Amino acid sequence: MLIQLLANGLVNGCLYALVAIGFALIYNTTKIFHVAHGAIYTVGAYICYFFMVEKGWPLAVAVGIAVGCSGLLGALVEAWIYAPLARRGAPLLVSLLSSLGLYVALVNVIAMFFGNQTRVLWPGVQRTYSIVGVTLTRPQFWQVAAAAIIVPGLVLFLKFTNWGRIIRAVRDNPTLAMVMGINQESVRLWVFVVGSAVTALASILVALDVGVDPNVGMPMLLTAAVALIVGGVGTFEGPVVGGFILGVLQGLVVWEISARWMDAVTFGVLIVFLLFRPWGLAGRRRRIEETLE
Amino acid sequence: MNYIWHILVMISIYAVLAASLNLVAGYTGLLSLCHAAFYGIGAYATTLLMMQMGLGFFPAMALAVPLTALLSLLIAIPSLRLRGDYFVLATLGFQIIVFSLLYNCVRLTRGPYGIPGIPIPSLFGVPVDTVFKYFLFSTTISTGALAILWLLIRSPFGRLLRAVRDDEVAAAALGKNVPAVKTMAFALGAGLAAIPGAMFAGYMRYIDPTSFTVGETIFILSAVVIGGAGSFWGPLVGSAFLVALPEALRLIQIPDAVAANLRQVTYGLLLVVLMRIRPRGIMGEYEFK
Repeated sequence: MLIQLLANGLVNGCLYALVAIGFALIYNTTKIFHVAHGAIYTVGAYICYFFMVEKGWPLAVAVGIAVGCSGLLGALVEAWIYAPLARRGAPLLVSLLSSLGLYVALVNVIAMFFGNQTRVLWPGVQRTYSIVGVTLTRPQFWQVAAAAIIVPGLVLFLKFTNWGRIIRAVRDNPTLAMVMGINQESVRLWVFVVGSAVTALASILVALDVGVDPNVGMPMLLTAAVALIVGGVGTFEGPVVGGFILGVLQGLVVWEISARWMDAVTFGVLIVFLLFRPWGLAGRRRRIEETLE
Repeated sequence: MNYIWHILVMISIYAVLAASLNLVAGYTGLLSLCHAAFYGIGAYATTLLMMQMGLGFFPAMALAVPLTALLSLLIAIPSLRLRGDYFVLATLGFQIIVFSLLYNCVRLTRGPYGIPGIPIPSLFGVPVDTVFKYFLFSTTISTGALAILWLLIRSPFGRLLRAVRDDEVAAAALGKNVPAVKTMAFALGAGLAAIPGAMFAGYMRYIDPTSFTVGETIFILSAVVIGGAGSFWGPLVGSAFLVALPEALRLIQIPDAVAANLRQVTYGLLLVVLMRIRPRGIMGEYEFK
């Protein structure tokens, strides 16, 4: 039983890592606390639901369309909402407030069209596989596979390719990057596209397993944000580590106490980290002068 | 007619709620996302004191206010050391933990079942048992609470809050104890939020954790920001507007099931548009930074 719960925790860790790296891509590069990322998580699963169940299209096509549309939605959010604010030099908390508003609006548009009940994407009992006493469903295997390919892929991409270097340059010092001839706005746009697409894929894989309702986005977004802080803001491997830690920890909480306390434990961890190690596990301690711009 | 009194009761509750968040967010510049938690603690504390200890409405409320203010220190002291996004996320975390406690401590709060049969408040031995009477009752309480807030804001302490908000370093250089001022503002805002909590419990006579969620926190914050943070009248305008909005949607005959969502879509989009064209809100004096 403990092994099974730990395995579930690791599978959840894979999902958290995916969403957290998508969130980190956006947060580290633009410094915007993108709450609407949670809404994009929800929207991705619903687009897949729409084409797969209501239109009856094949799974792979529906997933492809949903991931593409979510990437596009991310780009539109940046182009129409954050970029104009950034051009005006608006404070980051103003972006946060408009992101909160956008989250509320998007989630309720979804609820208006699809209702508040849980929607099942893939009816019937899923085939399960057992390895060394651990039973996983087919979508859970896909979750692990997707994370195993995308997460290291993204981390290596950001570390070793030229585009990765450009993204890190904008993260470290947007003004200097601009002086070096990097088009900051297009970098931000692409970061939103990739971050949103990765997140949508994670949400679709969850929805294939357990279905989707309009409120799934907020807890996931908060877990991703906590994973980023625990791992280390500013890094791209940190949120992956943070995601796995939270996944396993939640598995243990289910084992030791009860599933009802999962959220409280996640945020307990956050508050402990904010107090004692706000730069996270992988992050670097910064002097206060560095953090004030 | 009862329908109009009902809307006015809700506006009187939300006006105090938004105004108390305004003290923290608008006047002190702390973008706190756990106000629904204090609202909930106030409602539960009043209810439990009335039902378990047999206190009247006013003594229960009078105890709930300092209790909520004290509990708010649990999050204020650690999180006020943080800046910007970190503070927002820490308060959001507190909101979720409090919701989780209200939901899971079944022995104390009855969890998801909620607490039914809250006694009717009475004033000088007269029970406040109709919607109209409750309207008079709640308007009196909220006018009192708003008057306290008004005096607080006009006082030297209110000026100190704005000084800390506008230039922390300068305030510290003048010998003001900035962390203490922030903590005090946060606790005062939390304590004031317990009053609408009590009013809500006394009016609905049934409470459950779903009235005190993250969504509720965002709603209260929207009322402050849309109305105008840092202005006394802003949150009152904002909450009147946001509470009356669904009723306006009802008048143009949108089915109830959709109207609830449409209301949220409207205020969500309003928040987005306002941040773009007028980040200070309708009556605003202060823009978050």
